[in-house]
Amino acid sequence: MPQSQDPFYAGLGQAVRIGTELLASLIVGGGLGWVTDTYLLGTTPWGLVIGLTLGAAAGVRNAYRMAQRWPK
Amino acid sequence: MEESPLHPFELHNYIPISLGGVDVSINKAVIMMWVVVGFISILMIMAGSARQLVPGKLQSLAEMLVDFIRGIILDTMGNDGMKYFPFIATLFLFILFCNWLGLIPGTYTVTSQIIVTGLFAGTVYTCSLILGFALHGLKFLGILVPPGTPGWMLPLMVPIEIISQLARPVSLAVRLFANMTAGHTILAVLFGMVVSLPLYVSWLPFAATLFVNTLEVCLIAPIQAYIFTILTCVYLGDAVTLHGHSEHAH
Repeated sequence: MPQSQDPFYAGLGQAVRIGTELLASLIVGGGLGWVTDTYLLGTTPWGLVIGLTLGAAAGVRNAYRMAQRWPK
Repeated sequence: MEESPLHPFELHNYIPISLGGVDVSINKAVIMMWVVVGFISILMIMAGSARQLVPGKLQSLAEMLVDFIRGIILDTMGNDGMKYFPFIATLFLFILFCNWLGLIPGTYTVTSQIIVTGLFAGTVYTCSLILGFALHGLKFLGILVPPGTPGWMLPLMVPIEIISQLARPVSLAVRLFANMTAGHTILAVLFGMVVSLPLYVSWLPFAATLFVNTLEVCLIAPIQAYIFTILTCVYLGDAVTLHGHSEHAH
């Protein structure tokens, strides 16, 4: 078990995280949009379109925020 | 004999129990969780009972683990975070040993079930929300407004922030689940090749099986536990400091 401050280990941990971070926001954004469309408002397809767009923005924002705390 | 590469994830009910129509049978995953909890308890109690100044093998292993978790907490939350050490250490050790013991052939990887990882992630995230509202009251909703946002951007930024907040437990759960499931599926596919190919080529997938298993043991299993723990710390830290996160970046 290496030290948590080990730059290789910490950097690897950061790198592996970013992909899922982008995906999760898309899932949540698209999911919320789809639920709004199908069950709440019946505004197909606009909820999904807006949800996916906002989800993509949130994903990029999360990835950016994560890169800001990149271990030196 | 052809077997589906997904057969390692099947749950067999050993003792079927039904509580008011809800299936609470004792299956492979439940037994594996008990084994993991027992293993960690025995390991840590045995390692902690000696308390020598010059630690023996077991004690230095336990000290290394505890020191590792301490390092994560100090890095992300600072000294205030040590209050949450028991919770974070329990989470880390449980996930780590679920990942590790699940790699022993014949056992079961609990963390390859999304209900398990989802429940962990949901608990962690709910805890951070409760902590945030308890510490800051309604001001905690300010986490949805990033510092320095101009007023006309608010209708755009607040939905984005809500989605990025809701994505936190999803990404925690999906990451651990997907990594463990993918690793074990690869192992099952490779081992299926070993069984079904003639002997003069089957050493090739067998070598690959050994290689992938080593990779899983040395890298994927600990790093996934590490990521889960560090994100738990980051989310708890965000709830405690409220916007303090970007300034505390190291």
